Amino acid sequence: MIQLLKIELYKIFKRPRTYISFGLITAITFLIQLAMLTDGKGFLGFVMQGINEQFDIQGHILNGYLVTYIILQSLLVQIPLLVALVAGDALAGEANLGTLRLLLTMPISRAKIVLMKFLSSFIYTVLLILWLALVALFLSLLLFGTGDMVNMKSDAFIMILKDDIMWRYFMAFAFAVLAMTTIASLSLFLSAFADNSIGPIMATMGVVVVLTILSNLEIPLFNIIRPYLFTTHMVGWKGFFDDPVPFAAIGRSALVMAFYTIGFLTATIVYFNKKDIKS
Amino acid sequence: MEKIIETQNLTKSFKDFKAVDNLSFAINKGDIYGFLGQNGAGKSTTMRMLLGLIFPDSGKILINGKEFSNKDRSLLKNIGAIIERPDMYGYLSGWDNLKIFATLRNKNIPNTRLYEVLELVGLKGREKDKVKAYSQGMKQRLGLAIALIHQPDILILDEPTNGLDPQGIADMRTLIISLNKDHNKTIIISSHLLYEIEQMATRMLIIHKGKKVVDGATIELLNPDETLVEVKIEPDKNWDTLFADSVWQQKLNHIDTQSAVLKMNPATTPELNNWLVKNGIRVLEIKSKHSLEDYFISLTNDTVTKN
Amino acid sequence: MPSSFKILSILFFIVLNSFVVAAKEASELFYTLRTKVLSVKDFTADVKMKIDINNMRIPLLKGTLYFKSPDKMRMERNGGLSILPKKNINLTLGNLIPTGNVMVIDVGYDTLAGKRVHIIKAVPEDELSNIVLTKIWIDETNLLAMRTETTTRNDGTVKMNLEFANYIKYALPDKVTIFLDVKDFKLPKGVTVDYNVNATPDTNAKTGKQKLQKGTIQISYLKYAINTGLGDELFAKGKEE
Repeated sequence: MIQLLKIELYKIFKRPRTYISFGLITAITFLIQLAMLTDGKGFLGFVMQGINEQFDIQGHILNGYLVTYIILQSLLVQIPLLVALVAGDALAGEANLGTLRLLLTMPISRAKIVLMKFLSSFIYTVLLILWLALVALFLSLLLFGTGDMVNMKSDAFIMILKDDIMWRYFMAFAFAVLAMTTIASLSLFLSAFADNSIGPIMATMGVVVVLTILSNLEIPLFNIIRPYLFTTHMVGWKGFFDDPVPFAAIGRSALVMAFYTIGFLTATIVYFNKKDIKS
Repeated sequence: MEKIIETQNLTKSFKDFKAVDNLSFAINKGDIYGFLGQNGAGKSTTMRMLLGLIFPDSGKILINGKEFSNKDRSLLKNIGAIIERPDMYGYLSGWDNLKIFATLRNKNIPNTRLYEVLELVGLKGREKDKVKAYSQGMKQRLGLAIALIHQPDILILDEPTNGLDPQGIADMRTLIISLNKDHNKTIIISSHLLYEIEQMATRMLIIHKGKKVVDGATIELLNPDETLVEVKIEPDKNWDTLFADSVWQQKLNHIDTQSAVLKMNPATTPELNNWLVKNGIRVLEIKSKHSLEDYFISLTNDTVTKN
Repeated sequence: MPSSFKILSILFFIVLNSFVVAAKEASELFYTLRTKVLSVKDFTADVKMKIDINNMRIPLLKGTLYFKSPDKMRMERNGGLSILPKKNINLTLGNLIPTGNVMVIDVGYDTLAGKRVHIIKAVPEDELSNIVLTKIWIDETNLLAMRTETTTRNDGTVKMNLEFANYIKYALPDKVTIFLDVKDFKLPKGVTVDYNVNATPDTNAKTGKQKLQKGTIQISYLKYAINTGLGDELFAKGKEE
């Protein structure tokens, strides 16, 4: 098992494509940090318009914590693509390469192969989020310093004291790992059906985009299905920056996503176990 | 004879297309067993079923006398395979590719064994190159190295000479025969070319549209007495009556004004020639063609269904 | 009958006079109180501030509050953020009672927190003043404003409850609770992408109306340093980022 996992990881990390994701995260993070360095005040002015009318907020608002939040807010939408890049490729990519048939003539059960593909995608996801944490959080703290954090929700202003923030980011990143693992399992599932990796990558993004729209449309009909869409729960990391932290809701969201993950994984194993390899 | 692989009424359909139809055959230990059939005849599907890549709708596969199913893939431990193109991880070196599959087979396979197979397939010295820089022949040989790494008793090679140049084909053929003779491998090989199978296979199976046409020892199927020998001559007035009452009479298959076709062992062609010359016939050409080849060509002229 | 008229007019005079006297008393009370309040030219105080406004979730803020008469205020939180209502009013009493010439109306007496208090209304004569009217509940024995209710031109009504203990001499409270009106604010959802699992669409969000919310700010003053001569530069803006 360990050998198989090692091999899967070796295949992932020996490939230049894998590092594109890390590069992209770095680049986008830098760009946002640069934008915040040059025009952070303008951005803050816009976002905090409503509150600035009535309150005089003084101090180091544009600190590393806030910048990290801004980065996560814009970047966590793109990370599914980066996860799909690897997880969507896991089975379909090998089918396309032609190595899948050789791999599947090994005396290893297909369930095990799927499981290891999932685990390796998961490890990649964890590393991706860790990298994000490193460049987004630590670099932002280095560039912008620390301070109390303000969090603007559409209908609330939340302020969190400096010493009360770090654990929230740890939890948020852990939550992001779970959310992205769900994406990975979806991607892997789609990957089992395809003979080239573009399909599952695009399909993953399609599903995420459509469901995200459904999650955010304020139409009564969608209110009924909203709690059942995993995209509704993907932004659950933001819950850690609320006051009080809605632990029950976040826990529910985590459960929903864990449920989806296990569901996708099981479906992948069941389907792939019966699949005729014709590629 | 010990049956190493046996199939019983193997059947597989893809949607409306019946790829393999009630196919039964047995492969003995030590055979080079040739699958012969045109593209789409069901060779690949059959081989993939033997390897657990495609699952039969019905029928059984026995490997070493045990029924093979997806639930227990341990029977695959004794098989090495190349299926169609020898696709590898192009972004990795030959060595990495070999190492990966060696580890998947058995993590205890030592590096010395890796060098051994590289030597055997003639890739030693090129193992550090990335596979995407390999020629088709090198990839094919790396594929063979991967198939051999765990010292299996059975090799399943699906069209192993596809895409190779004539020298490559000859090398591969020599290698396959050597693996059978010197390393006691039972080899299953497929091809759509009769002459290729004919040169290697000890036994063969001809499939057409998923059905067995004929199987048996190559020697028997290609019995020399079944060879068709065609004689072309300058027009001669005695020609029609010449064969009557001769030893060649019963071998005569067909005759017209300037030619005749005899079913006979080509080894006796010189005697036939002498006899004709002695009877004053000016022979322009004598050529022989095996009946199986004739038969096979007639199959290939059928509408070809793509794989 | 003339005598009865006389008695009546005397009675009337007395009553009227008592009103005038009362008004005069109230006026005096107001000015004395104001003088006492304004005698604090500046202070530095360690404070705990609890801001409790419907759509703002702010933790208890500890810090140092600087004040300089008449209207400079700044909170310093050792590198942290400070939040103060941005208006012409600030969080001190001196700022919630009118300046200049004031017309004082005596409203009478009441009991507040177990104390008898004299209630007056102060209306500034300056018509351009932001303060329209301030109602003050005064503890006459200690000369302290226990409660104020200020109606402003631009900032709604601001109420303030004051509790005194250690700085009675300066009329500086140990604890004040300020009640003020805060406008609702909304950010477009697209900007924030909130985490809202069971979102029931807020009708208010749709109509885009800005509702007025009641908010309170509670400040506990732990320690004052009074009239130390704080410089203006301390309050200079520009520290905002």
